[in-house]
Amino acid sequence: MIRELSFIDVLYLIAATRWTLALTAIAFLGGGIVGLAVALLRVSSLAPLRWLGAIYVHAVQGTPLLAWLFVFFFGLSIFGFTVSPWLAAAAAYSIYAGAFLGEIWRGCLQAIPRTQWEAGASLGLGFTQQLRYIIVPQALRLAIPPTVGFLVQLIKNTSLAAVIGFIELTREGQLTTATTFRPFTVYLIVAAIYFALCFPLTQWSRRLERRLHVAR
Amino acid sequence: MSLVELKNVVKRYGTNTVLNGVSLSVEKGEIIAIIGRSGSGKSTMLRCVNGLEPIQGGTVAFDGTVVNDPATDLRKLRQHVGIVFQSFNLFPHLSVEKNITLAPKVVKGVPPAEARALAEAVLRKVGLAEKIDAYPDQLSGGQQQRVAIARSLAMQPQLMLFDEITSALDPELVGEVLKVLEEVAREGMTMMLVTHEIGFARKVANRVVFMHEGKMWEQGPAAETLGRPRTPELETFLSAVLH
Repeated sequence: MIRELSFIDVLYLIAATRWTLALTAIAFLGGGIVGLAVALLRVSSLAPLRWLGAIYVHAVQGTPLLAWLFVFFFGLSIFGFTVSPWLAAAAAYSIYAGAFLGEIWRGCLQAIPRTQWEAGASLGLGFTQQLRYIIVPQALRLAIPPTVGFLVQLIKNTSLAAVIGFIELTREGQLTTATTFRPFTVYLIVAAIYFALCFPLTQWSRRLERRLHVAR
Repeated sequence: MSLVELKNVVKRYGTNTVLNGVSLSVEKGEIIAIIGRSGSGKSTMLRCVNGLEPIQGGTVAFDGTVVNDPATDLRKLRQHVGIVFQSFNLFPHLSVEKNITLAPKVVKGVPPAEARALAEAVLRKVGLAEKIDAYPDQLSGGQQQRVAIARSLAMQPQLMLFDEITSALDPELVGEVLKVLEEVAREGMTMMLVTHEIGFARKVANRVVFMHEGKMWEQGPAAETLGRPRTPELETFLSAVLH
Protein backbone atom coordinates (compact mmCIF):
# COMPACT_ATOMS: atom_id res chain seq x y z
CA MET A 1 0.00 0.00 0.00
CA ILE A 2 1.42 3.34 -0.99
CA ARG A 3 1.11 6.19 1.47
CA GLU A 4 2.39 9.75 1.70
CA LEU A 5 5.87 10.49 2.95
CA SER A 6 5.44 12.27 6.25
CA PHE A 7 7.45 13.67 9.10
CA ILE A 8 7.07 10.43 10.99
CA ASP A 9 9.08 8.68 8.26
CA VAL A 10 11.91 11.10 8.81
CA LEU A 11 11.77 10.29 12.51
CA TYR A 12 11.93 6.58 11.67
CA LEU A 13 15.01 7.23 9.57
CA ILE A 14 16.64 9.13 12.39
CA ALA A 15 15.70 6.33 14.78
CA ALA A 16 17.30 3.76 12.45
CA THR A 17 20.47 5.82 12.59
CA ARG A 18 21.06 4.46 16.07
CA TRP A 19 21.76 1.04 14.55
CA THR A 20 24.18 2.64 12.15
CA LEU A 21 25.92 4.22 15.11
CA ALA A 22 25.81 1.03 17.17
CA LEU A 23 27.31 -0.96 14.29
CA THR A 24 29.98 1.68 13.83
CA ALA A 25 30.83 1.58 17.53
CA ILE A 26 31.12 -2.20 17.55
CA ALA A 27 33.15 -2.25 14.36
CA PHE A 28 35.47 0.45 15.62
CA LEU A 29 35.94 -1.17 19.00
CA GLY A 30 36.46 -4.69 17.65
CA GLY A 31 38.53 -3.40 14.76
CA GLY A 32 40.59 -1.34 17.16
CA ILE A 33 41.48 -4.37 19.24
CA VAL A 34 42.28 -6.49 16.18
CA GLY A 35 44.08 -3.56 14.56
CA LEU A 36 46.28 -3.01 17.58
CA ALA A 37 47.30 -6.65 17.54
CA VAL A 38 47.94 -6.53 13.79
CA ALA A 39 50.03 -3.35 14.05
CA LEU A 40 52.14 -4.88 16.82
CA LEU A 41 52.63 -8.07 14.80
CA ARG A 42 53.71 -6.00 11.83
CA VAL A 43 56.44 -4.16 13.77
CA SER A 44 57.57 -7.20 15.74
CA SER A 45 61.23 -8.10 15.67
CA LEU A 46 60.35 -11.74 14.88
CA ALA A 47 59.94 -12.34 11.18
CA PRO A 48 57.24 -15.08 11.44
CA LEU A 49 55.04 -12.72 13.45
CA ARG A 50 55.50 -10.01 10.83
CA TRP A 51 54.51 -12.48 8.11
CA LEU A 52 51.45 -13.52 10.07
CA GLY A 53 50.38 -9.88 10.30
CA ALA A 54 51.07 -9.28 6.61
CA ILE A 55 49.13 -12.37 5.50
CA TYR A 56 46.16 -11.29 7.59
CA VAL A 57 46.15 -7.78 6.19
CA HIS A 58 46.50 -8.89 2.58
CA ALA A 59 43.85 -11.59 2.94
CA VAL A 60 41.29 -9.24 4.46
CA GLN A 61 42.05 -6.25 2.25
CA GLY A 62 41.76 -8.50 -0.77
CA THR A 63 38.29 -9.80 0.07
CA PRO A 64 34.99 -7.91 0.20
CA LEU A 65 33.42 -7.07 3.54
CA LEU A 66 30.16 -8.40 2.17
CA ALA A 67 31.75 -11.84 1.83
CA TRP A 68 32.77 -11.80 5.48
CA LEU A 69 29.25 -10.88 6.55
CA PHE A 70 27.88 -13.78 4.49
CA VAL A 71 30.46 -16.20 5.85
CA PHE A 72 29.63 -15.46 9.46
CA PHE A 73 25.88 -15.15 9.12
CA PHE A 74 24.91 -17.71 6.48
CA GLY A 75 28.10 -19.73 6.20
CA LEU A 76 28.32 -20.85 9.80
CA SER A 77 24.63 -21.74 10.01
CA ILE A 78 25.24 -24.41 7.35
CA PHE A 79 27.44 -26.17 9.88
CA GLY A 80 24.66 -25.98 12.44
CA PHE A 81 25.82 -22.88 14.33
CA THR A 82 23.16 -20.28 14.82
CA VAL A 83 24.84 -16.94 14.68
CA SER A 84 22.93 -13.84 15.74
CA PRO A 85 23.18 -10.90 13.33
CA TRP A 86 24.95 -8.89 16.04
CA LEU A 87 27.59 -11.53 16.54
CA ALA A 88 28.06 -12.00 12.77
CA ALA A 89 28.32 -8.26 12.24
CA ALA A 90 30.70 -7.80 15.16
CA ALA A 91 32.96 -10.57 13.85
CA ALA A 92 32.91 -9.48 10.20
CA TYR A 93 33.42 -5.79 10.91
CA SER A 94 36.15 -6.46 13.48
CA ILE A 95 38.05 -8.55 10.95
CA TYR A 96 37.57 -5.96 8.24
CA ALA A 97 38.31 -2.84 10.31
CA GLY A 98 41.16 -4.61 12.09
CA ALA A 99 43.05 -5.09 8.83
CA PHE A 100 42.70 -1.46 7.78
CA LEU A 101 43.32 0.08 11.19
CA GLY A 102 46.24 -2.29 11.71
CA GLU A 103 47.79 -1.08 8.47
CA ILE A 104 47.18 2.59 9.33
CA TRP A 105 48.71 2.19 12.77
CA ARG A 106 51.64 0.15 11.48
CA GLY A 107 52.45 3.04 9.18
CA CYS A 108 52.30 5.47 12.09
CA LEU A 109 54.54 3.30 14.27
CA GLN A 110 57.03 2.92 11.44
CA ALA A 111 57.00 6.65 10.77
CA ILE A 112 58.79 7.14 14.08
CA PRO A 113 62.50 7.07 13.31
CA ARG A 114 64.43 3.92 14.22
CA THR A 115 66.79 6.12 16.22
CA GLN A 116 64.01 6.75 18.75
CA TRP A 117 63.82 3.00 19.43
CA GLU A 118 67.61 2.93 19.66
CA ALA A 119 67.74 5.82 22.09
CA GLY A 120 65.24 3.99 24.32
CA ALA A 121 67.06 0.68 24.04
CA SER A 122 70.37 2.35 24.86
CA LEU A 123 68.90 3.63 28.11
CA GLY A 124 67.96 0.10 29.12
CA LEU A 125 64.27 0.17 28.19
CA GLY A 126 62.79 -3.09 26.92
CA PHE A 127 60.71 -3.47 23.74
CA THR A 128 57.35 -2.86 25.39
CA GLN A 129 58.70 0.04 27.43
CA GLN A 130 60.07 1.63 24.27
CA LEU A 131 56.68 1.19 22.63
CA ARG A 132 54.73 2.51 25.57
CA TYR A 133 56.79 5.53 26.57
CA ILE A 134 58.52 6.57 23.36
CA ILE A 135 56.97 5.20 20.18
CA VAL A 136 53.22 5.03 20.81
CA PRO A 137 52.87 8.56 22.27
CA GLN A 138 54.52 9.96 19.13
CA ALA A 139 52.70 7.64 16.73
CA LEU A 140 49.36 8.54 18.31
CA ARG A 141 49.60 12.11 17.05
CA LEU A 142 50.21 10.85 13.54
CA ALA A 143 47.45 8.28 13.80
CA ILE A 144 44.53 10.54 14.66
CA PRO A 145 43.76 12.01 11.21
CA PRO A 146 43.88 8.75 9.20
CA THR A 147 42.01 6.91 11.95
CA VAL A 148 39.19 9.44 11.88
CA GLY A 149 39.23 9.21 8.10
CA PHE A 150 38.73 5.47 8.30
CA LEU A 151 35.97 5.93 10.89
CA VAL A 152 34.06 7.97 8.31
CA GLN A 153 34.40 5.12 5.81
CA LEU A 154 33.22 2.74 8.48
CA ILE A 155 30.05 4.71 9.17
CA LYS A 156 29.08 4.49 5.52
CA ASN A 157 30.07 0.83 5.22
CA THR A 158 27.76 -0.23 8.04
CA SER A 159 24.98 -0.10 5.42
CA LEU A 160 26.24 -3.47 4.19
CA ALA A 161 24.93 -5.03 7.41
CA ALA A 162 21.46 -4.67 5.91
CA VAL A 163 22.10 -7.92 4.01
CA ILE A 164 22.05 -9.90 7.24
CA GLY A 165 18.91 -8.27 8.56
CA PHE A 166 19.95 -5.03 10.20
CA ILE A 167 17.48 -2.26 9.69
CA GLU A 168 20.00 0.54 9.87
CA LEU A 169 19.81 3.85 8.06
CA THR A 170 20.14 2.69 4.45
CA ARG A 171 17.81 -0.30 4.90
CA GLU A 172 15.22 1.87 6.65
CA GLY A 173 15.44 4.17 3.64
CA GLN A 174 14.72 1.24 1.32
CA LEU A 175 11.72 0.23 3.40
CA THR A 176 10.41 3.78 3.49
CA THR A 177 10.80 4.02 -0.27
CA ALA A 178 8.86 0.79 -0.71
CA THR A 179 5.85 2.16 1.15
CA THR A 180 5.92 5.79 0.00
CA PHE A 181 7.40 5.37 -3.46
CA ARG A 182 9.39 8.58 -3.05
CA PRO A 183 12.94 7.27 -3.57
CA PHE A 184 14.49 10.60 -4.49
CA THR A 185 13.32 12.44 -1.38
CA VAL A 186 13.92 9.51 0.93
CA TYR A 187 17.45 8.82 -0.21
CA LEU A 188 18.21 12.51 -0.11
CA ILE A 189 17.21 12.48 3.56
CA VAL A 190 19.28 9.33 4.13
CA ALA A 191 22.28 10.99 2.48
CA ALA A 192 21.74 14.11 4.58
CA ILE A 193 21.81 12.06 7.77
CA TYR A 194 25.03 10.30 6.74
CA PHE A 195 26.45 13.70 5.91
CA ALA A 196 25.45 15.05 9.30
CA LEU A 197 27.39 12.21 10.91
CA CYS A 198 30.46 12.25 8.69
CA PHE A 199 31.02 15.91 7.98
CA PRO A 200 31.74 16.99 11.57
CA LEU A 201 34.18 14.08 11.84
CA THR A 202 36.11 15.01 8.71
CA GLN A 203 36.19 18.64 9.86
CA TRP A 204 37.48 17.59 13.23
CA SER A 205 40.09 15.41 11.55
CA ARG A 206 41.19 18.32 9.33
CA ARG A 207 41.57 20.52 12.35
CA LEU A 208 43.68 17.90 14.10
CA GLU A 209 45.80 17.52 11.02
CA ARG A 210 46.42 21.25 10.83
CA ARG A 211 47.30 21.33 14.48
CA LEU A 212 49.71 18.44 14.07
CA HIS A 213 51.51 20.27 11.31
CA VAL A 214 52.30 23.21 13.51
CA ALA A 215 52.99 21.12 16.60
CA ARG A 216 56.20 19.21 16.92
CA MET B 1 90.51 -7.12 33.77
CA SER B 2 89.74 -4.51 31.14
CA LEU B 3 86.36 -2.80 31.29
CA VAL B 4 85.82 -3.28 27.56
CA GLU B 5 87.40 -6.08 25.58
CA LEU B 6 86.89 -6.52 21.84
CA LYS B 7 88.45 -9.62 20.30
CA ASN B 8 88.60 -10.19 16.54
CA VAL B 9 85.22 -8.57 16.03
CA VAL B 10 83.73 -9.11 12.58
CA LYS B 11 80.68 -7.23 11.41
CA ARG B 12 79.12 -7.65 7.99
CA TYR B 13 76.16 -6.07 6.26
CA GLY B 14 75.39 -8.70 3.65
CA THR B 15 78.65 -9.14 1.75
CA ASN B 16 80.05 -5.82 2.92
CA THR B 17 82.52 -6.35 5.75
CA VAL B 18 82.50 -3.30 8.01
CA LEU B 19 84.64 -4.62 10.85
CA ASN B 20 87.33 -7.07 9.87
CA GLY B 21 88.80 -8.53 13.03
CA VAL B 22 88.97 -5.60 15.43
CA SER B 23 90.60 -6.10 18.83
CA LEU B 24 90.73 -3.41 21.46
CA SER B 25 90.71 -3.22 25.22
CA VAL B 26 89.75 -0.25 27.32
CA GLU B 27 90.75 0.09 30.95
CA LYS B 28 88.60 1.69 33.61
CA GLY B 29 89.06 5.47 33.61
CA GLU B 30 90.59 5.56 30.15
CA ILE B 31 89.49 8.00 27.48
CA ILE B 32 89.81 6.57 24.00
CA ALA B 33 89.39 8.66 20.88
CA ILE B 34 88.52 6.72 17.76
CA ILE B 35 89.33 8.45 14.51
CA GLY B 36 89.22 7.48 10.86
CA ARG B 37 87.52 8.19 7.55
CA SER B 38 83.78 7.81 7.25
CA GLY B 39 83.08 4.20 6.41
CA SER B 40 86.13 2.96 8.30
CA GLY B 41 83.87 1.21 10.83
CA LYS B 42 84.48 3.43 13.84
CA SER B 43 80.82 4.15 14.63
CA THR B 44 79.91 0.52 14.02
CA MET B 45 82.56 -0.60 16.47
CA LEU B 46 81.22 1.79 19.09
CA ARG B 47 77.68 0.49 18.59
CA CYS B 48 78.88 -3.08 19.07
CA VAL B 49 79.98 -2.24 22.60
CA ASN B 50 76.42 -1.76 23.88
CA GLY B 51 74.95 -4.42 21.61
CA LEU B 52 73.15 -2.10 19.19
CA GLU B 53 74.90 -3.91 16.34
CA PRO B 54 74.89 -7.71 16.31
CA ILE B 55 78.26 -9.09 15.23
CA GLN B 56 79.15 -12.03 13.00
CA GLY B 57 82.43 -13.04 14.59
CA GLY B 58 84.65 -12.52 17.63
CA THR B 59 83.58 -11.34 21.05
CA VAL B 60 82.68 -8.08 22.72
CA ALA B 61 82.86 -8.07 26.51
CA PHE B 62 81.92 -5.37 28.98
CA ASP B 63 82.99 -5.77 32.59
CA GLY B 64 83.32 -9.52 32.06
CA THR B 65 79.89 -9.89 30.42
CA VAL B 66 79.93 -11.12 26.83
CA VAL B 67 77.75 -8.60 24.99
CA ASN B 68 77.22 -10.76 21.90
CA ASP B 69 76.13 -13.81 23.92
CA PRO B 70 72.41 -14.29 23.14
CA ALA B 71 71.85 -15.13 26.81
CA THR B 72 73.11 -11.74 27.95
CA ASP B 73 70.44 -9.37 29.19
CA LEU B 74 71.21 -6.32 27.07
CA ARG B 75 68.78 -4.19 29.05
CA LYS B 76 70.82 -4.73 32.16
CA LEU B 77 74.08 -4.12 30.35
CA ARG B 78 72.85 -0.87 28.80
CA GLN B 79 72.09 0.56 32.22
CA HIS B 80 75.85 0.67 32.70
CA VAL B 81 76.84 1.79 29.22
CA GLY B 82 75.58 5.20 28.12
CA ILE B 83 75.64 6.33 24.50
CA VAL B 84 75.23 9.76 22.96
CA PHE B 85 74.40 9.94 19.26
CA GLN B 86 75.30 12.28 16.46
CA SER B 87 71.66 13.27 15.96
CA PHE B 88 70.90 13.73 19.70
CA ASN B 89 67.83 11.44 19.55
CA LEU B 90 66.01 13.22 22.34
CA PHE B 91 62.37 12.23 22.73
CA PRO B 92 60.53 15.14 21.06
CA HIS B 93 57.24 14.56 22.91
CA LEU B 94 58.82 14.79 26.35
CA SER B 95 60.17 17.77 28.26
CA VAL B 96 63.85 17.93 29.12
CA GLU B 97 63.04 16.67 32.61
CA LYS B 98 61.02 13.71 31.29
CA ASN B 99 63.71 12.91 28.73
CA ILE B 100 66.18 12.58 31.55
CA THR B 101 64.00 10.88 34.14
CA LEU B 102 62.22 8.37 31.88
CA ALA B 103 64.84 5.64 32.11
CA PRO B 104 65.71 6.13 35.79
CA LYS B 105 62.00 5.93 36.63
CA VAL B 106 60.99 3.12 34.29
CA VAL B 107 64.15 1.02 34.32
CA LYS B 108 65.53 1.63 37.79
CA GLY B 109 62.32 2.49 39.66
CA VAL B 110 63.58 5.83 40.98
CA PRO B 111 60.66 7.64 42.70
CA PRO B 112 59.42 10.82 40.91
CA ALA B 113 60.66 13.39 43.44
CA GLU B 114 64.09 11.85 43.51
CA ALA B 115 64.09 11.65 39.71
CA ARG B 116 63.41 15.39 39.44
CA ALA B 117 66.35 16.10 41.75
CA LEU B 118 68.48 13.79 39.63
CA ALA B 119 67.47 15.68 36.48
CA GLU B 120 68.35 18.99 38.15
CA ALA B 121 71.74 17.64 39.17
CA VAL B 122 72.75 16.32 35.74
CA LEU B 123 71.43 19.45 34.03
CA ARG B 124 73.58 21.60 36.30
CA LYS B 125 76.52 19.53 35.19
CA VAL B 126 75.87 20.36 31.54
CA GLY B 127 74.98 23.98 32.37
CA LEU B 128 71.30 23.80 31.44
CA ALA B 129 69.53 23.84 34.81
CA GLU B 130 67.13 26.53 33.61
CA LYS B 131 65.92 24.40 30.68
CA ILE B 132 64.43 21.63 32.77
CA ASP B 133 60.86 22.32 31.63
CA ALA B 134 61.69 23.12 27.99
CA TYR B 135 60.94 20.81 25.07
CA PRO B 136 63.70 19.60 22.74
CA ASP B 137 62.50 21.73 19.81
CA GLN B 138 62.89 24.85 21.92
CA LEU B 139 66.61 24.19 22.32
CA SER B 140 69.55 24.81 20.00
CA GLY B 141 71.47 21.83 18.64
CA GLY B 142 74.24 22.31 21.17
CA GLN B 143 71.75 22.48 24.02
CA GLN B 144 69.95 19.38 22.77
CA GLN B 145 73.21 17.48 22.67
CA ARG B 146 74.05 18.60 26.19
CA VAL B 147 70.64 17.36 27.35
CA ALA B 148 71.39 14.06 25.63
CA ILE B 149 74.64 13.84 27.59
CA ALA B 150 72.76 14.68 30.79
CA ARG B 151 70.17 12.00 29.99
CA SER B 152 72.94 9.46 29.66
CA LEU B 153 74.69 10.61 32.82
CA ALA B 154 71.46 10.26 34.81
CA MET B 155 71.77 6.48 34.52
CA GLN B 156 75.16 6.73 36.23
CA PRO B 157 76.91 4.55 33.66
CA GLN B 158 80.35 3.03 34.09
CA LEU B 159 81.21 3.68 30.47
CA MET B 160 80.07 6.33 28.03
CA LEU B 161 80.12 6.05 24.27
CA PHE B 162 80.06 9.20 22.14
CA ASP B 163 79.26 8.71 18.48
CA GLU B 164 80.41 11.80 16.57
CA ILE B 165 78.38 13.95 18.88
CA THR B 166 79.51 17.28 17.42
CA SER B 167 79.22 16.35 13.73
CA ALA B 168 75.64 17.51 13.34
CA LEU B 169 76.24 20.84 15.06
CA ASP B 170 76.85 24.27 13.61
CA PRO B 171 80.52 25.18 14.15
CA GLU B 172 79.76 27.82 16.77
CA LEU B 173 77.94 25.24 18.90
CA VAL B 174 80.68 22.63 18.96
CA GLY B 175 82.65 24.34 21.73
CA GLU B 176 79.93 24.20 24.37
CA VAL B 177 79.46 20.45 23.83
CA LEU B 178 83.18 19.71 23.94
CA LYS B 179 83.41 21.71 27.16
CA VAL B 180 80.80 19.45 28.73
CA LEU B 181 82.69 16.41 27.46
CA GLU B 182 85.86 17.64 29.11
CA GLU B 183 83.96 18.14 32.34
CA VAL B 184 82.67 14.55 32.20
CA ALA B 185 86.19 13.34 31.41
CA ARG B 186 87.61 15.21 34.39
CA GLU B 187 85.26 13.34 36.69
CA GLY B 188 86.96 10.09 35.76
CA MET B 189 84.36 8.62 33.44
CA THR B 190 85.58 5.86 31.12
CA MET B 191 84.88 7.15 27.64
CA MET B 192 85.09 5.93 24.07
CA LEU B 193 84.52 8.68 21.59
CA VAL B 194 84.32 8.61 17.85
CA THR B 195 85.30 12.06 16.73
CA HIS B 196 86.55 14.26 13.94
CA GLU B 197 87.84 16.83 16.41
CA ILE B 198 91.53 15.91 16.28
CA GLY B 199 92.53 18.82 18.52
CA PHE B 200 90.06 17.71 21.13
CA ALA B 201 91.26 14.12 20.90
CA ARG B 202 94.83 15.24 21.45
CA LYS B 203 93.84 17.31 24.44
CA VAL B 204 91.46 14.98 26.25
CA ALA B 205 92.12 11.40 25.16
CA ASN B 206 94.65 9.09 26.77
CA ARG B 207 94.79 6.96 23.71
CA VAL B 208 93.94 7.37 20.06
CA VAL B 209 92.74 4.56 17.85
CA PHE B 210 92.89 4.99 14.09
CA MET B 211 90.47 2.81 12.15
CA HIS B 212 91.00 2.07 8.48
CA GLU B 213 89.10 -0.33 6.21
CA GLY B 214 87.38 -2.09 9.08
CA LYS B 215 90.61 -2.70 10.95
CA MET B 216 92.31 -1.13 13.88
CA TRP B 217 95.15 0.34 11.90
CA GLU B 218 97.17 2.14 14.48
CA GLN B 219 96.84 3.05 18.14
CA GLY B 220 98.85 4.58 20.92
CA PRO B 221 99.12 7.49 23.34
CA ALA B 222 97.23 10.48 21.91
CA ALA B 223 99.99 13.05 21.51
CA GLU B 224 102.50 10.55 20.17
CA THR B 225 100.17 8.85 17.70
CA LEU B 226 98.81 12.10 16.34
CA GLY B 227 102.21 13.78 16.36
CA ARG B 228 104.22 11.01 14.73
CA PRO B 229 101.98 8.66 12.76
CA ARG B 230 103.65 5.34 11.94
CA THR B 231 101.50 4.37 8.99
CA PRO B 232 101.10 6.32 5.76
CA GLU B 233 97.31 5.88 6.04
CA LEU B 234 97.14 7.77 9.32
CA GLU B 235 99.49 10.38 7.98
CA THR B 236 97.28 10.90 4.93
CA PHE B 237 94.19 11.02 7.09
CA LEU B 238 95.65 13.55 9.50
CA SER B 239 96.90 15.84 6.77
CA ALA B 240 93.45 15.68 5.18
CA VAL B 241 91.57 16.65 8.34
CA LEU B 242 94.07 19.14 9.65
CA HIS B 243 94.42 21.18 6.48
